[in-house]
Amino acid sequence: MDAVERANTERQKRWVKDQKVGEGTYAVVYRGREFATGRKVAIKKIKVGQFKDGLDMSAIREVKYLRELHHQNVIELLDVFSSKTNLNLVLEFLDSDLEKIIKDRTLVFLPADIKAWMAMTFRGLEFCHRNFVLHRDLKPNNLLIASDGQLKIADFGLARDFTDPGHKMTCQVITRWYRPPELLFGSRYYSTAVDIWSVGCIFAELMLRTPYLPGETDMDQLKTIFRALGTPTEEDWPGHTKLPDYVPVGQFPRTPLRDLFTAATTDTLNLLSKCLIYEPRKRIGAKEALHHAYFFALPYPSHPSKLPKLSNNTSSRPLDEVDGNVDMNASGPGVKASAPNRLKRKLSSPGDELGGRPLARRLDFTQKRS
Amino acid sequence: MAAENSTKATSAEAGSSSLGKKKPLYEASTQYKNWRYSPERLEDVRTQLNAAAVAVIRNTFEADEPGSSSGVAFLDAGEEQLLVKLYISKIPQLCGHFRFPEEVEATAISYLKRFYLKNTVMDWHPKNVMLTALFLATKTTNNPISLEAYTSNIPKTSPSDVLDLEFLVAQSLGFEFAVWHAHRALWGIWLDLQSLPDLSADLRPQDVYEIALKHVRASRFTDAELIYTPSQIALACLSIASPLICQRWADSKSAVSPSSQPLSEVLEDTLGAIKFMVMQAGQPPDVESVREVDRRLKLCKNPEKVVGSKAYLARIAEDEHRAEQKRNKKANDVRRALAEGDPFGSELTDKEKAERLAELDEDDD
Amino acid sequence: MANRTNVGGWLQGKTVRKGGITSTNAHSTRSNTPQVQSTSTTVFGGGVKDSSGRTSEYFSMDDQCPVCKSDRYLNPKLRLLVSSCYHKMCESCIDRLFTLGPAPCPICQKVLRKLAFTPQTFEDLTVEKEVAVRRRIAKEFNKRRDDFQDLRAYNDYLEEVEDLTFNLINDIDVPQTEARIAAHRAENAALIERNVQRDEQYAHALKEQEEIERQEREQRASEARREEEMEREEREKGRREIIDRLETSSKNAAKVIAKSRAEANKRSSARTAADTVLKSNAQLLRSRAAQSTVVPDVPHVPLQDDWYAYEDIYTLMSSYEDPYSEAVRKDREGIMRAGGYRVEEAWERALRSAVMGLDLLPLVGQGISDVDKDPSSQPDVVMAAA
Repeated sequence: MDAVERANTERQKRWVKDQKVGEGTYAVVYRGREFATGRKVAIKKIKVGQFKDGLDMSAIREVKYLRELHHQNVIELLDVFSSKTNLNLVLEFLDSDLEKIIKDRTLVFLPADIKAWMAMTFRGLEFCHRNFVLHRDLKPNNLLIASDGQLKIADFGLARDFTDPGHKMTCQVITRWYRPPELLFGSRYYSTAVDIWSVGCIFAELMLRTPYLPGETDMDQLKTIFRALGTPTEEDWPGHTKLPDYVPVGQFPRTPLRDLFTAATTDTLNLLSKCLIYEPRKRIGAKEALHHAYFFALPYPSHPSKLPKLSNNTSSRPLDEVDGNVDMNASGPGVKASAPNRLKRKLSSPGDELGGRPLARRLDFTQKRS
Repeated sequence: MAAENSTKATSAEAGSSSLGKKKPLYEASTQYKNWRYSPERLEDVRTQLNAAAVAVIRNTFEADEPGSSSGVAFLDAGEEQLLVKLYISKIPQLCGHFRFPEEVEATAISYLKRFYLKNTVMDWHPKNVMLTALFLATKTTNNPISLEAYTSNIPKTSPSDVLDLEFLVAQSLGFEFAVWHAHRALWGIWLDLQSLPDLSADLRPQDVYEIALKHVRASRFTDAELIYTPSQIALACLSIASPLICQRWADSKSAVSPSSQPLSEVLEDTLGAIKFMVMQAGQPPDVESVREVDRRLKLCKNPEKVVGSKAYLARIAEDEHRAEQKRNKKANDVRRALAEGDPFGSELTDKEKAERLAELDEDDD
Repeated sequence: MANRTNVGGWLQGKTVRKGGITSTNAHSTRSNTPQVQSTSTTVFGGGVKDSSGRTSEYFSMDDQCPVCKSDRYLNPKLRLLVSSCYHKMCESCIDRLFTLGPAPCPICQKVLRKLAFTPQTFEDLTVEKEVAVRRRIAKEFNKRRDDFQDLRAYNDYLEEVEDLTFNLINDIDVPQTEARIAAHRAENAALIERNVQRDEQYAHALKEQEEIERQEREQRASEARREEEMEREEREKGRREIIDRLETSSKNAAKVIAKSRAEANKRSSARTAADTVLKSNAQLLRSRAAQSTVVPDVPHVPLQDDWYAYEDIYTLMSSYEDPYSEAVRKDREGIMRAGGYRVEEAWERALRSAVMGLDLLPLVGQGISDVDKDPSSQPDVVMAAA
């Protein structure tokens, strides 16, 4: 046997798959454990060898970044091994995600809870940015919650390094409701500010308990944003009318955030508004945000162990399936991931769930085990 | 007095250890953790890999036809290296053709080198491994191109040449795709020179940078990246282009070096070794000498790894047979377990269970 | 304030009434009073607060200022305040006597400042005094049962506190008592401070809980309104449906109506279930608030990881001479800026690359890198050794 194969077998033996907890088109997720210690893990088996372009881009991205990033607020990739032509990612086991918690109407959030989640999200994101990684798909169901209450950023299937000057990036990233206006206007040169916008939307969602900017199409998304925050002027956001996909979508007045977030403190709204500044370069950075007065004001952020948890135990850790092979038919070295299908699919019918958000990318593990 | 001194020492120690607790980010990288070797270790790994491969192939030959291995001139580790180096030199050519960014080129070269720290040339010929490494690098650096577009632009190459090896290459890399490169470090040094107050623009002409960059590219033919850090390689290459600028910059960073020694002194040996390596080995090998090695390789290739050969087919059949047995066993086990009402059978120990489940996994794709 | 009004009066050519020239006049006029009162409300913030944080002020039709004898009959806006020596007087008198600085109390001669007057909460001033004393004592003597080793020590402490309180209320051994209080303060400064913070947090949690409960109520109300609306619509829809079906169906009318009714009932019971969930929220909230004192929340620490990013070795300048990014920085179309591309982020990455691992000396000999000894990367050892 080859050295590589031998080493792989060694790795494989360390982990035990216990039970399939979900299956999608491209990945199967098992609950499992470490053989020697019994520690619970999630094993995500990615089927390889069925794509005409070989290893799937999202699998590659996920493995690439999780192999390097080690932080309390980023999901830990414990090991990688292959079985035949399957790629197995051994991930730390996480109970739930922020989307489920937001949706669980039996839970009540204190302002201190929201502060704690925001601090953990920003810490995880600051670490990604410190490592020059853009996440590009932040949303509540990619923020996983461990049993001790720690929040972990997961799903690096759309992540990428910062670009060198002059290199284009795709603008078809980030789930629509969390996508910043510069991407909706087709900008191919952007920065860490795109992730900050998403965090701003999540922040608002935590307070509202419902998605803040739920657009039904890309065009409607812009309209939704402008209706909430006012149509930007040239002064608010210099040059935005020159962006590739710019279209005027109507003039809406700016309503104060205070009108919608009646109970929020001034600090809270100040931070929120800084995450949702139109001009990306003026948007607050993750590190700066962590030093914002909001976090230092009373109440102190809730201790993670006290944060609201899902009330029922039907949630075995749902991992995202890795799906959506990025379209690589595009020519040339410039990144051209023309609209990963899943984004379309994901938001094609936001209304079909009972008042919920579209679930396309999730595997449903919530069914009760008999 | 003595007591006072000792408490001072302890508190100072405590202070420094709490500071020391902060770990440099480079040490989180897989490049630091898993792809950093001493020169001796590097040679050792290659020699052992080569010896093990020769032994296996010799056995295969003998099994096929006793006595047939005696006349075969197997490659030694140095010759394997020579061949790998030749294919390293193909990568910049292809990247130029496809107009891939430098990041792709450097990453593909790293992949190719890393692959042959886990595999031997006699098992896997570097031509297709090189094509696969490059294709994989386009994806890992976010510059994807369709496989069709890729292979149709390379003569005598089909999609399957790349696809068949992709998983093996990724696996050999330990699925560690992120690589830090010297060319970016060099760019950083060049930018940072501008914060030196007394180094005006005319003291750092652009062609110094261009020369240094050429040396960084040359360093990709060497083992430098497996031994030294990207910043050290970049600095050494700058030093070849302009020792003065190199020293000025290094000295400006001395304040942070743990000892009070200037950084240029601390790094003197390291930079010297890299410079020697780049000057000595930083070019493609002589094609004539490689041609001879490649000819011999045709005779000592591992027949089990040559697609379509008798040995290869035998091995595939063997694998199939094993898999079939496993499937049957599993089906029986499940049937039996179901009959007993417990899906795993309560009499199984944990270990057996683990093995059982591992098998389950292999078959259910 | 009063003066300014007068100046305004002169300028406007109005006749200033005799009593209005100075507010030091004992019988201040009604026209002056509002101004004086508004000053007072800003000056006097004290009073005994009730549990909701509001101050309820004692007020009686029989109020009369013991100093100027002005009463509520003459001055409906009369407001009496209490001095720190527990003597009442009206705002006009306070203004008159103490605006120029500390002066003796007209009743007991204790020297007072204007700031030493607080609103009256209780009819009986001895109660007022007791409450104030207890409030003051409670601020400093804020130890709790768990600050003591045993119950006995705690009881002794409580008795001591009661003793001090009694002395202060009844003016017994005041200097010695004050000395004892000062000594306690000095000894327990840290503990007192900690307990103050703990109490503040608790109060904050309570306030928060109230706020959330209020929101809940609002939400429930709006939910109820929406439901009512929906119900009405549904009834309307049901009626239309019945009519439609009666028009198109050949079945008998009674059956059609019964079926429609059954469907409507099903919908309404689903709503009731949802309602139950909402109602239990208040309960959950209370349990959350109770829990909040068990594990203490700690102040925010922005960054909590132990990774060092070489920040101290390089300084990112605001601009560089950089042919590599020149075109981008010129940004003729302005799309880099509008899209938010930051060449600084690329520069910083390059600078970090330049210093990262600079002082990391190469491995020597057969020694494998120290991380390889970490059991988690054992497979690599296996691989390397193979």
